[in-house]
Parts: sequence; structure tokens; C-alpha cells
Amino acid sequence: MKILVLGIGNPILSDDGVGIKVAQEVGTKLNDPQVTVSETSAAGLSLLDSIIDYDKVIIIDAIQTEEGKAGQIYRMKPGNFSFAKHISSPHQINLVTALELGKMLNLNMPQEISIFAVEAKDTTSFSEGCTPEVEQAIPEAVKMVLDELVG
Amino acid sequence: MKRITIDPITRLEGHGKITIFLKDDGSVANVYFQVPELRGFEKFSEGRAAEDMPQITQRICGVCPEAHHMASTKALDELFHVEPTSAAKKLRELLYSAFYVTDHTTHFYILAAPDFVMGPDAPPAERNILGVIGKVGLELGGAVINTRKQNHWVIQTIGGRPIHPCFGLPGGVSRAINEEERVQIEEIAKQSVEFAKLSLKVFDDIVLKNKEYLDMVLSDTFTQKSYNMGLVDDNNKVNFYDGKVRVVGPDGKELCKYAPREYLEHIAERVEPWTYLKFPYLKKVGWKGFVDGNDSGVYRATPLSRLNAADGMATPLAQEEYDKMYTTLGGKPANFTLATHWARLIELLYAAERMVELVQDPEITSTDIRNIPKAKPDEGIGIVEAPRGTLTHHYITDERGVIKKCNLIVGTTNNYAALYMSIKKAAEDFIKPGVKITEGLLNRIEMAWRPYDPCLSCATHALPGQLPLEVTIYDDRGNEVKKLSQGI
Repeated sequence: MKILVLGIGNPILSDDGVGIKVAQEVGTKLNDPQVTVSETSAAGLSLLDSIIDYDKVIIIDAIQTEEGKAGQIYRMKPGNFSFAKHISSPHQINLVTALELGKMLNLNMPQEISIFAVEAKDTTSFSEGCTPEVEQAIPEAVKMVLDELVG
Repeated sequence: MKRITIDPITRLEGHGKITIFLKDDGSVANVYFQVPELRGFEKFSEGRAAEDMPQITQRICGVCPEAHHMASTKALDELFHVEPTSAAKKLRELLYSAFYVTDHTTHFYILAAPDFVMGPDAPPAERNILGVIGKVGLELGGAVINTRKQNHWVIQTIGGRPIHPCFGLPGGVSRAINEEERVQIEEIAKQSVEFAKLSLKVFDDIVLKNKEYLDMVLSDTFTQKSYNMGLVDDNNKVNFYDGKVRVVGPDGKELCKYAPREYLEHIAERVEPWTYLKFPYLKKVGWKGFVDGNDSGVYRATPLSRLNAADGMATPLAQEEYDKMYTTLGGKPANFTLATHWARLIELLYAAERMVELVQDPEITSTDIRNIPKAKPDEGIGIVEAPRGTLTHHYITDERGVIKKCNLIVGTTNNYAALYMSIKKAAEDFIKPGVKITEGLLNRIEMAWRPYDPCLSCATHALPGQLPLEVTIYDDRGNEVKKLSQGI
């Protein structure tokens, strides 16, 4: 079984880098030849390239929701996203559409995808560090990912 | 009467906001466009080693890291007063051409094609790449994925790392390619040329042979007579990697042509109270407001602008397509915003042809890939064409090469004024007294801005990884009439 833990984010845009930070931490705590820990700053179609040929993928990223509190961590499946498969990003398609596309083209898609999303406070200021609320959530997120791998 | 404040200080919650005010007869009085802006880059860069900037700046945007990497590397050449070796320049341009193939492919099939293939009034759930592939076929869909994948391999092979190259150095590049790699790159380049030709055929079949679409392309709603900016080589042909910046007016006359180090003599920035965005404009012409025409300093830097600003394409097949486009559109310059999608495909073909030229050059496997700088650094300006427009990196350092000041003008920034005007015009033309405002309005506004493929800060990849957009319409008394949103 090939498993991928993928941290997504921009490491120089404050909380937007939390996914990468969590993935890096997970990597230091793991010693399992079945699990690859990786990071990417790509989105949409490029994300598709990263996840093909794995059986199970755990994605970690930042999120901003209307009601959310900074530092909250959500565990989601692709089906949780309630929006339609509409183009909203001016650059790339969103994750859900990318997954659908992969299936449509018979690419070797993972059977199982889990997403851990950390509610971000600031994703528009340049900084290599996260805000305190989000920084504090990192250990918890790491634990959740490790539990997911064991379970 | 309610007062609605357009306040740029309000946190925009990661989404773009378009606010439309109506007159009492229901037509549009005014339109405002705001996006959250990435802040603090200058401060973030201070105190850093200039040689790190190609690595740092390529992190600014997950979509065009190679563009930042290249502009930054060229700024370093200037900063350290060192000329790259001939082989290094070719390797840089080869990597850059492969990047253009991936980027323009992505944009056309993900963003442009859905409107044309599915139709602008198709429901949102169908108006996306899935709908496109459903219509044009799985084989073409596979070719899109494959072209990107192969060219990403080229970028990784030349640049040393996937997506974020560790490649550019002042005076050269960090690694050479060997013959085995060269052969594979050549094969991919040739396949990319075929793919580009196929894409242009798709555009021809679906858009150009469809009168309704062609009329839309040529319509007044999507026409804007602004100045055109792009990099050109010594023969005034389009070049993405190097050359001089050329500006040509809506009347077809050259306004100016300047070396990167002269950019501040030609470009100034306009500040407006309702947004943090600053609007670059041409100093020689002056700021006359958000209007087009020869007397307004508003300019565009897009694939179409590049083709307008140049005298042609440097490769034969792309030149043929260039001629065909201008014949169809009635001559140069073409001021039809939707034709940007066509220009993008012509650039795709040029990028692939250029890859073939460069990879077949005997010097491409040379190991003479760096000139070591000897002079003390002080100031450097590097300009490349990012897919989204002319990209400028400007660094000022102390004599150790530590950044004191840094200014970037990213591709889309050049287009802020024109982009705003396009949106405004679409809103004005589609909101009419007595006509019901529907979701279709949202899509018409989107069609006005998609040709620019704007790189706005809300295009970060925080889940759900999309550009949430909110359009709010107020009547003449300040009452909210309608709110349309997507992805929020």
C-alpha cells in the first residue's frame, strides 16, 4: 500500500504555509517505508500530478471559512465541499474538479483521500511564520494525521 | 438615502468584491472592484541576500514560480554587473519556453475553453474542464494532461527541482544538461508543437467557425482601445525571456521602446482612495482616468498586447497563425479583449517551436554555463514576460549584496486599470433598466476578466483553492438590490 502525506501551502505567506509545516513535522515522526511525506505549493491540475499512483492520500492545507476560528482543524473528504464543480479560481480548477478529471481520464487515482484543513487567520502578509493561533494548532494537526495513518 | 462606503481597509476575507451602484432608472451608475492584496513583501525582503531572491520570489505565486525565478535571476545579472554565458542564456530560455507551454495549455483548457465549448450561458456545473473534455473527447483531455506532465519534467530536468527551480545564478545557471536529457527534451518539444497546432485547430473549429462567438469576440462590449506592452527582440519579434520593452498605441504607432533599467522613466503608479491596488500607467501619455484611447496612459500587458506590440513571431508556424489572426480581426492592433485567448494559443505554438530551436542548438549541452561576477553589487532590474504580463524585479543592495530595497511589478499589476475597465463595461452592458439581473451576469463579468488570467492574491491555495467572488448591487437609494456570489 502506497500512502502519501502531502502538505500544501505557500511557506512565505504566513498561515498559508501551515500545511507544509504540519507535513514537515509528520515527516520527522514517521519511519514507515510505505508512507511518502511531501510538500507542494501547487494547486488544481498540478495537485493531480502529485497524487496519482498512490493508494491513499492525506492532504494538509490552510482554509478560510465564514464562521471559522483561527486554529480550528477540520477533517474532510472531497465530498464535503458543497460548491459545484465550477471554475472559480482564475488560474486553476479546485481540488474536487481535479479529482473528477482524474477519474474521467482513467488516471491511477487514490482510492482514499482525507483532507486536514487548518483555519487560517492571515494569508495575505508575507512571513515565514504562522500567526500564534495557527502555530498553536500545528501539534494537534500533526497528531490527527499520525492517528489517521495508524487507523 | 443610505451611504455605502467602499472601504479598502475592510478585510476582504480572501475574496474579490465587485460593487455596482445603479441609477434610478436601473442602469449602472458606477462599479468598484476590490481584491485583497498581498502585503509586506518589501519588508520581508530587506536584509536578505540577493542571490536568494530567485528562490524566495518564486514562492510568491504557486502558478508562475518560473517567471519570478527568471526575472529575479536577470535582476541579479544586472545587480552583479555580469553577463551570462551564451549557453546559460539558451538554457534559461529553454526552461522558460517549456514553462510557457504548461502555463498557456492550462489556461486555455481550464479557463478559456469552457466558455466557448460549453457556451457562456451553460449552467456553472457544466461550464468547466469536465464539460470541455466531455465534448472534445477523452483523447484530447489526455493530451492536455500529458503535455503538462512532460513539460514539467523538462523544467525539473533543466531547473533541478520540480515546480521551483534551483537554477538561476548571477552570470549563468547551476547545471548543464547532457545528451541523453537533450534527446528526450527534443522529443517532448516536437510533441508540444503538434499539441499546439491541435489546440489552434480546436479553437478554429469551435470559436472561429461559430458566428455567435466570433460576433462576441468582435463586439463593442469586449473592445478596449488601450496601449499594448510586451518584450521584443532585436527584430521586434515577441520574446518571453529577453529584449526591450516596447509600447504600441491603439492606433498602431510605437510610443516607446526601452531597456529594463529605464522602466521608471516610463511607468508611474496611480493611487485611488477605494482600493489598495495601485494602477500603473504610461508617464509619457499621463493619467486621464479609467478611459481608453490614445490620450489615456492606461495600458495592457497580455498575450494579445504582446502580439500587438511586436512586428511578428520569431518562429514560422506561429507567424502563420499570427497573420491569420490579424487578417480575421481586421488588422493590427487588435483591440478585442476576448481575442487574448487566441493570442495565447499562438504564443503556445511559438513557445513549443522555440523549444525545438533551442534544444537543437549545439551549444545547449555546453558545460560553460556561468560567468562568475567580479564587480560589487548595487542595483539591478530584470524584466521577463510572465504569461500574465510584463514582470519586473528591481533590487537595491548594499555592497555585500544584501537587499535594502525591492520593488516588484507583477504581470497582472500592469493590467489592473484595464481589467477594472473591462469589468465595468461588462456590468454596464449587461445591466439594463427593466432587465432582470441573473446569474448569467456573473458569468459575463467573469468572461470580461478571464482573458487577463489575473494573478490576484486571492488565488492562493487555501482550500477550497478557488477565487471566491461577490458582486453586490445597490439601487440609487443605497438599498441592496441583489447579491451574487460564487465559492463563498
